[in-house]
Amino acid sequence: MEPLLSLRISAGYPGRPAVLQDVALDLEAGGTLGLVGQSGSGKSTLALAILRLLHLKGGRTEGRIQFAGRDLTECGEREMRRLRGREIGLVLQSASSSLNPALRIGTQLREAWRAHADSAWEKPFELLQSVGLHADDAFLRRLPGEISVGQAQRVLIAMAVLHRPSLLIADEPTSALDLITQAEVLRLLAALNRERNMATLFISHDLLSIASYCRRVAILHEGRIVECGETGRIFSQPAHPYTRRLVEALPRIPLAASSLNLATLAARLEEDLAQRAAADVVHPQAE
Amino acid sequence: MQTLRYLAAAFLLMVFLASVGADFLSPAPYERQFRDHPNEPPSRRFPLGTDELGRDRLSRLLHGSRVSLLLAPAAALLAVFLAALVGLSAGFLGGWFERAAMACTDLFVSLPWLFLLLTVRALLPLNVAPWTSVSITFLLLGLLGWASSARVIRAGAAAVRGSDFALQARAAGCRTARLMMVHLLPNLRPAIAAQFWISIPVFIWSEANLGMLGLGVTEPLPSWGNLLLELANYRAVFAAPWLLAPAVLLVLVSSGFHFIFSKEDPCR
Repeated sequence: MEPLLSLRISAGYPGRPAVLQDVALDLEAGGTLGLVGQSGSGKSTLALAILRLLHLKGGRTEGRIQFAGRDLTECGEREMRRLRGREIGLVLQSASSSLNPALRIGTQLREAWRAHADSAWEKPFELLQSVGLHADDAFLRRLPGEISVGQAQRVLIAMAVLHRPSLLIADEPTSALDLITQAEVLRLLAALNRERNMATLFISHDLLSIASYCRRVAILHEGRIVECGETGRIFSQPAHPYTRRLVEALPRIPLAASSLNLATLAARLEEDLAQRAAADVVHPQAE
Repeated sequence: MQTLRYLAAAFLLMVFLASVGADFLSPAPYERQFRDHPNEPPSRRFPLGTDELGRDRLSRLLHGSRVSLLLAPAAALLAVFLAALVGLSAGFLGGWFERAAMACTDLFVSLPWLFLLLTVRALLPLNVAPWTSVSITFLLLGLLGWASSARVIRAGAAAVRGSDFALQARAAGCRTARLMMVHLLPNLRPAIAAQFWISIPVFIWSEANLGMLGLGVTEPLPSWGNLLLELANYRAVFAAPWLLAPAVLLVLVSSGFHFIFSKEDPCR
């Protein structure tokens, strides 16, 4: 079966021409792929390149990006605009700066709706409730400065999934959050992935988040994918020296009488997902 | 500082209301000539005296204030509208459009615009009807005075263009026009409003400059500019200091704008 997203690209900026070098990734419909790499390895560049928005940051992309049977690099700007938000949703890294400080939450949601409006605007109370936000007019009247970072992150997720896209690109959606809110956001993304069959490209440098959410993982190092495969296998038998260093750098978490490392966490998650497909994903740390 | 700001606002409001209600507050029509009372000193009948044609100076000052205080904001509105149009489009669209628009703006900024105003005004007929001359003067001010505001607005728009929320809105599929109107404009509203208020005293002074050179609002309609013409004869000022009333009012009004919009010095 043809993957939903299949890309092979190189990207860069003036002065840094090789941020991504021949990066190849496949993501099937409804799948979850984690992209791990250290800061500055080109993770966010890849997210913007897929949506063909990298030029706004002064960057350039070369290669091909196959999405749902078409090559995005050959699409015109008008076609790309129709696709952004409706078929591919994006959640940016910094929740607080990704919401317009001068616009009320309701206005921002309405604008995201209007971009692809095929029916009249109705306040998305159900959606807000599903992402764990207050579903009332008072919340929609608030400005971004009046809500917490966790709430802003949820609003961004709600905006990104408003049109039920088939692919969600989440660029470090949990990096600015505390552990409890992180777990809640991960649970939310897992539920959206399951209920809407929405494929997710989950970009992060947080291995625990990746291990608890993604079935497959790709390791990005110095602009190249050095390893890609099942999350459990990659974290239990890392082949590349960089992946080994990553896994070894993780602190051991003492739980009960034993000590869990990432490989056992990932293996436990696999079991957990298989056994309790209908239930929410439980963050391993919460166990 | 806060008290001074309130005082300045109260003073400006008072002058504005007095100029709007000039028809009711003036002791006499501004063009009426009391032929038997030319160059009179202040009296109960003529609180600021009369000019050489016997016209009541207070009435002329009130009506002149109306011309300056109503039309300077109108010119500022026109200038800021043009500045916003150029600045927003250049800053948000970027690329060759930004370079072309900014080259045009730089050209306007570098022009000695008072001389340009004089040239353009001098090309127009001098014997036009008073209200036509008023419209022409302030239209020229508005059309020529947008460039520096456009630079400020462009800088703000360029900052928004590179912001995360603009990127997020594009990723949601928002159209460029919608992005500019809904996402950009509310963020730049304070900067645009500041440019509007800053432009008003600038245009008041520009009209006064033109008026002093006889190229502003034409007689018999009074404006602060043509009322200041009388000060050209400085000897007369020593003999009749009440001739300074329009100059004093002009300085007080511009100072009022300055006090309202200047920020408190954080170092003090």
